[in-house]
Amino acid sequence: MKTMKPLLRSLIIPSMLFLGACCCGKETVVAPPPPPPPPVVLPGLGDVFYDFDKSDLRAEAIEQLKTNANWIQANTASNVLIEGHCDERGTSEYNLALGDRRANSAKDYIVNLGVAPARLKTVSYGEEKPFAAGSTEEAWAQNRRAHFVAQ
Amino acid sequence: MMHFYRHVLPGIFVVLFSLVFFPFHLTAAESGEYIAIRKAGSGNIALVLNKLDANGRKETGFAQGLDTIIHDGLDFTKLFSMISPPLNVRDNSNRKNVVINFGALNSVGAEVYAGGVVTIKSGLVTLDMEVYETAGAKLLLRKTYTGKEGGLRSIGHAFCADLVELLTGKKSVFGSKVVFVSNKSGSKEIYQCDFDGYGLEQVTNSRSISMNPALSPDGKHLAYIDFTTGRPTLYIRSLADRKVASVGKSSVSIDPEWRNSSEVAATLSLNGDPEIYLIKTDGTISRRLTNSKGIDISPSFSPDGSKMVFVSSRNGLPQIFIQDMQSGQTKRLTFSGRYNTQPSWSPAGDKIVYTTWENSGEINIFTINADGSGLAQLTRKSGENKSPSWSPDGGMIVFTSNRKGKEKMYVMNSNGDNQRNLLQGDGEQTQPSWSLFR
Repeated sequence: MKTMKPLLRSLIIPSMLFLGACCCGKETVVAPPPPPPPPVVLPGLGDVFYDFDKSDLRAEAIEQLKTNANWIQANTASNVLIEGHCDERGTSEYNLALGDRRANSAKDYIVNLGVAPARLKTVSYGEEKPFAAGSTEEAWAQNRRAHFVAQ
Repeated sequence: MMHFYRHVLPGIFVVLFSLVFFPFHLTAAESGEYIAIRKAGSGNIALVLNKLDANGRKETGFAQGLDTIIHDGLDFTKLFSMISPPLNVRDNSNRKNVVINFGALNSVGAEVYAGGVVTIKSGLVTLDMEVYETAGAKLLLRKTYTGKEGGLRSIGHAFCADLVELLTGKKSVFGSKVVFVSNKSGSKEIYQCDFDGYGLEQVTNSRSISMNPALSPDGKHLAYIDFTTGRPTLYIRSLADRKVASVGKSSVSIDPEWRNSSEVAATLSLNGDPEIYLIKTDGTISRRLTNSKGIDISPSFSPDGSKMVFVSSRNGLPQIFIQDMQSGQTKRLTFSGRYNTQPSWSPAGDKIVYTTWENSGEINIFTINADGSGLAQLTRKSGENKSPSWSPDGGMIVFTSNRKGKEKMYVMNSNGDNQRNLLQGDGEQTQPSWSLFR
């Protein structure tokens, strides 16, 4: 359910922009300045994933955060909550702190790309709200993430 | 016959003498003397706990109840070897005075004898107890305990507390509480029970996530973390009037622990980096204690509050450090184990208990002296063992283990002996914290 809203928005808002750009022609466009080529559908907010016990950003995480930054810049009506999550291993207090570090590492990167810090909030759920059940490396890898929620 | 009198007669004289001259309580010097003798031979105390006397049906019922409560209570401490009373432990034929057969007690190897009488006086259950050191037929304690019919546990445990404190010179577990987290209602809520698992009560009902409860040393406040607002927030609840102060609502709060009854320390991530702060019971921050890049969590304090042990990831994976509260000087405590968390400073001040997440995937409990020497492993080959917390006397540790499937609370002696389940029931039990007060 959580992912529904951002997903819908990510589809609807860019497509409206696209339609607006097509129909109105030379009229002024409301949202971001008209891009030179015909606008493409902007990819939506996506989650980023972390290595074990790390809050450092992996290469693919950086790509995703750039995408997220663009989305946030394009969707000025939304603020974004970044939830830090951990896998079930280790101890829960440390994981709560590690989740906080993960959420903040993602936030810091996006702020460095020019997004206003006031539009980003962070929270940690530590190991309390895993996405994937089970005690496998796949499940753990899914659960070490920063989850982006448009609000 | 001669043999019998040789042993019993001196006992009679001692009892009569003590009835006349001994005060209700043993003096400190005398108990200190006994403790000094005990320390020489450090094993369990060989105790004969005689069946309580009672006349009348009601009294007999109370006596049987108290027998069980006192026996189970003393057994819980694992300080005693319980010896069955010898058949001729007492001679009641002689007048009104109870005559204790110290010869018989000595011959079965008893060091200490405890016995008593249950009566009902002005509607109250009245327990008159006597404790003797058998070797010298010396009275150690004579005291009367009273309470209502429904309060047999308190009456029995008041005696157990006196006996343990008399013989060990330390605070006992009797009257102490354990607060912990259980998900048995479907969400993580805080519960409390007596030291032995009795008297389970639900403390929070936020239907969110409640975590890391810690009772203040005076028992007046409960600090805990709760997600009701959507983020982990520190709450300090006054137990008398249920007033709640909250801290760091716009931040992430982690793992509170009390420095004394008016100051709690917890991690707050106010600037995107988790640091430990000292906070007053009204929720105001008094000062920041750590300043390092990386995670700083799980403070616990030396008994005098002058030093803090905590977890830091300043060197990479989490390790345990000790910080001097005045100078701020910090040194690393643990060098064995790649992932060490959950430190707790012993009430005696000498040891720190913590957990290591081992390469095997097990999580085990260790103790180490505050100076870094004397590393000892308390759990092994039993899955994940977490969240160790000392009993008020430091003689025991409560912790959780998933050794039989679901995570449940266990207790053990502080050297790892006598590991056993504390509380049955549905759901998982996590993050126990043993109160310092009684």
